[in-house]
Amino acid sequence: MAASLISAHPFGDAYAAKAGTLSAGARIDALRKVARTEIGRGLPGPKNEEWRFTPLNALSRVGFIPAAAADDVDVTVVPSDVPRFERAIRVVLVNGTFQPDLSDKISGIDIRPLSDSDAALGQTATANLPLVALNTAFFANGLAISAKGHQPLAVHIVSIGASGAEPVAFHPRVLVTTAPGAELTLIESHVGLPGQPYFANPVTEILIAEDARVHRYVTVTEDCDAFHIATTGVTVAARGCFAAFHLGLGGSRGEGTVRQEIHARVEGEGAQVHLNGAYAIGGGVHHDFTTVIDHVAGGALSKQMFKGVLDGKSHGVYQGRVRVAENAQQTDARQLHRALFLTAGPSVDVKPELEIAADDVQCAHGATTGSLDPDHLFFLAARGLDPETARMLLVEGFLADALEQIGDAHVREVFGRQVAGWLQRRGGAS
Amino acid sequence: MPLLEIKNLHAKVGDKEILKGISLTINGGEVHAIMGPNGTGKSTLSNVIAGRDGYDITQGEVLLDGKNLLELSADARARAGVFLAFQYPVEIPGVSTSQFLKTAINAKRRQQGKPEIDAMEFLKLVKAKIKALGIADDMIRRPLNVGFSGGEKKRAEILQMTLLEPRLAVLDETDSGLDIDALKVVSEGVNALRSPDRGFLVITHYQRLLNYIVPDHVHVMTGGRIVASGGKELAETLEAEGYAKYQAA
Ligand SMILES: Nc1ncnc2c1ncn2[C@@H]1O[C@H](COP(=O)(O)OP(=O)(O)O)[C@@H](O)[C@H]1O
Ligand SMILES: [Mg+2]
Repeated sequence: MAASLISAHPFGDAYAAKAGTLSAGARIDALRKVARTEIGRGLPGPKNEEWRFTPLNALSRVGFIPAAAADDVDVTVVPSDVPRFERAIRVVLVNGTFQPDLSDKISGIDIRPLSDSDAALGQTATANLPLVALNTAFFANGLAISAKGHQPLAVHIVSIGASGAEPVAFHPRVLVTTAPGAELTLIESHVGLPGQPYFANPVTEILIAEDARVHRYVTVTEDCDAFHIATTGVTVAARGCFAAFHLGLGGSRGEGTVRQEIHARVEGEGAQVHLNGAYAIGGGVHHDFTTVIDHVAGGALSKQMFKGVLDGKSHGVYQGRVRVAENAQQTDARQLHRALFLTAGPSVDVKPELEIAADDVQCAHGATTGSLDPDHLFFLAARGLDPETARMLLVEGFLADALEQIGDAHVREVFGRQVAGWLQRRGGAS
Repeated sequence: MPLLEIKNLHAKVGDKEILKGISLTINGGEVHAIMGPNGTGKSTLSNVIAGRDGYDITQGEVLLDGKNLLELSADARARAGVFLAFQYPVEIPGVSTSQFLKTAINAKRRQQGKPEIDAMEFLKLVKAKIKALGIADDMIRRPLNVGFSGGEKKRAEILQMTLLEPRLAVLDETDSGLDIDALKVVSEGVNALRSPDRGFLVITHYQRLLNYIVPDHVHVMTGGRIVASGGKELAETLEAEGYAKYQAA
């Protein structure tokens, strides 16, 4: 529907010309051609139901240039607040491009530039989404990660966004494939450098084979006026498991817009999807978790828990759609979103959607919104805790059961520290 | 100088006057009991001493060691040595009891210019105290008061009091919801803290608690006023005769 599209946006022919030749082989070229046509029609507008709460009007008005055309960006170090993870190989991207000099030596795991022989590219349910089409049209050099057996080292992707004099857009693309029974941990830190806004448009596709397991831990920290619109498409075969935790932090500077959209297709019996997350935002930050779980096969489980702490005039969104196909009997699907407001300024939009065609299923969703309990605050005050310390303790307590969903103890500790850091910065700011 | 002096204290909630001129003096080492029927203003008095919001103090003074408590925030009063053991301790999900205890101990230490307590010292201290109070080891790893029985919650309050070593402890119906064994343990915990440089205000509806925590002075409170004061034998008279004669007056 043309009326629901924003046709005036910066990703037209001029953008394509500046992006240069992106040819990567016949198959990818064919995908790009379709995608370019798609983008030519426009970006989703405010009347588009999926994008109602996260309108792209502001983004569409920024004169982004492709990162490849920005010759005044030179990132020589990884920002010091990006954590180091134990037993992980760090792979650094700047504006979507792999930086061997900033990365660990890659060994013991199969990470390659994405190529035309990666037939799995564009095979997840996300392929037709507009922001995925934008990525497909313009991704410069993607990464293909394939896992066999148990991978003892995690892959830690650090994606740094940085603009020069002009705002840049970039489109990181990652494809993860697994052999049956493989186990892989993928950690991602998405950060930005202050300056002009930038637009990160990452797309990650994860194909989980029978009995394979992928653990994914993502942090998006937007401290400037950036746009981070990320889409993940996952398919899970029989008895496979996808366990993800997404953290969104932002607000001490700027007014970033973040959307973390995750689609998981449960294709095999006995598969599991654990999709959890937390966000802590302030200032004018907008943070959106959008999830779509498609239960195509039965006897499978999907569990989601998202918790948000909102300060300033920030805005949170949770859209959770669960579809259970007619023959996906004995599906167990649960979702929960809880928001905690630290001031009277923030707002949230929550939209659970259960579309259930099977009859023998268990589905549940819940959503709550509230502020700190004055009885709790008085109790802590009566034990000598100053108001800021009391609030920090209660906020950490509020987020605790979400963070507990992080299976890896080390990652849990690092993410906990990042949340504590956010709270301390907030304390200093107020 | 008395440890605590309450002089002609009047407090309102909205338009309703609840405390109608309370005066009370507690010296170091003394245990005072306040007894009274439900709805008489006992919890209001303890909340006003501890600095809870929502009360309009229209007259009177509360002095701790001669210092005006009413001008301090609740947390500053606590750090100055006021401890309120709650009638209904709140459950705080996600905050482990030990994390809370450590934060509370450190708030006090910071006030005294001391460094934060180290992890080993903290564990040793807490282990010793919970043993004396008959608290299970795993309780301190659980979220504060969440899923605790009535008795466990009250023991947790006494544990906090023991660790924070207050100058003035106000116990608001600490006996409510306790079976006799828990009542004995809690009372022993309180008695162990009696000392010349500490004062207690023990609020109760029943005389039973005062068999275990024997007070130096007993006050009867009805309708927002202290209507009679005496020694520990006053509690026994009340138990036998009830509050009727004071309420009628
Ligand atoms: N926040 C409040 N708002 C309105 N009325 C209150 C409030 N707190 C106490 N009251 C009233 O004040 C009176 C005394 O209450 P309280 O101090 O809890 O008594 P007690 O502890 O002796 O049972 C009661 O009539 C009660 O309803
Ligand atoms: Mg009461």
